[in-house]
Amino acid sequence: MTGLDLPETIVRQWPFQPHFARVNGWRMHYIDEGAGDPVVLLHGNPTWGFLYRDFVAPLTEAGCRVIIPDMIGFGLSEKPVREQAHSLDGHIANLTGLLRSLDLHRITLVCHDWGGPTGLGFALSNIARVKALVLMSTWAWPLPPAEFHTRIFPWRMMHAPLLGPYLLGRHNALAGRGVYLSVVDRKRFQERAQAAYEAVLPDPASRLLTWTWPRWIPLDDTARALDRFTWLERELSACALPALLVWGREDDVFDPTTFIPRFRQLLPQAEGPHLVTGRHFLQEDSGPEIAAHIVTFLRRLA
Amino acid sequence: MTTMGVVPEPSLHGMRLGWVLTEDRLGHYPEFRAFFTRTFDLDRVGLARPGYWQAPSGTIYALVFIGRSGEPFPSGVEINAVVPALEPLDELLVDRDLWAFLRWMIAGIGGGWTLDALEATGRLFRIPASMDADRPLS
Repeated sequence: MTGLDLPETIVRQWPFQPHFARVNGWRMHYIDEGAGDPVVLLHGNPTWGFLYRDFVAPLTEAGCRVIIPDMIGFGLSEKPVREQAHSLDGHIANLTGLLRSLDLHRITLVCHDWGGPTGLGFALSNIARVKALVLMSTWAWPLPPAEFHTRIFPWRMMHAPLLGPYLLGRHNALAGRGVYLSVVDRKRFQERAQAAYEAVLPDPASRLLTWTWPRWIPLDDTARALDRFTWLERELSACALPALLVWGREDDVFDPTTFIPRFRQLLPQAEGPHLVTGRHFLQEDSGPEIAAHIVTFLRRLA
Repeated sequence: MTTMGVVPEPSLHGMRLGWVLTEDRLGHYPEFRAFFTRTFDLDRVGLARPGYWQAPSGTIYALVFIGRSGEPFPSGVEINAVVPALEPLDELLVDRDLWAFLRWMIAGIGGGWTLDALEATGRLFRIPASMDADRPLS
């Protein structure tokens, strides 16, 4: 029972049994498919597990247990209605609550966008439970920010005080048009997927996290999450876990020429990068190809 | 069309405050909080009364400022339409009024926050009110 009416075209692409867990005081939705070492796939803003629909079959057929949670505030999970309900530490604790309640070990974490800081926050504080990392279009250090995130047009204007609640709240600008603008094949996205992202955020109050997450990206040394990102960078640089980097060639949010070298510096053991067709939401353009890269990577680790 | 801007408290007899928008973190960019503090004299007025702002449509909006322990005042603001008590809101009119409010706010904040950048953002995301381009500020 999701409590949301998803369009039939979306349900056909997302036929998985919903599961719900009480984590850190919230109701979290996730899917749990297959058997084997767990692969946990983490989305970011403003998406949900649907982003990984093309990953489930290849990974389960390769002998993995696939767990895809919806971040609290997104997808089919509970959606707090006050901005102060959201923090980076709180979201890491939400994920920790789920993965500990499932008692998962030998986890491969697949991290995209805010799934990076939250997933890595879990991994680096529960290192004994983690087998490997896969990183895509994300970051894990305090400064400098992506050049994209420093611009007033469109990024800072989009989530500024009162503008965020108006543009992203009343008009759902990020889940609809925003994701559309950040894929390569926009026509296919519009036909097959856009409704999935819009349908799970039906009302302005349900969209709160779409403008709250942007406000947690450090832009200078006064940022709220500066200490946590400093910790993430320090711990990641000491982390010896096997890692794989996958990036969209056309990514203009976390541009590959800046972000891949930084991750290679922090994780010199990382394989890749595998560059695929894709902007920020690369899973929409290259889902099966990315899933195949992950399967190959995991087979080498076995 | 009415000139937009700050107005005195209207008569609230037979009216209600219809909530339309909330901002929980007005100081996320401190220049936004500074604009409201300056424009509504909030260092003096505090929580004593809302501020009132009239839209080009003539509708007046009450700005209810919010305080939060440990944070500079105001930490947030609610925008409420002053409307006949038993009548539903005209959503299209409210949306156009809010866009006018945001244009007025950005013009007042200034610096790097320009009307050009706001209008471009509105057009990028195809916000209906922003498509009515080249309107004067008042």
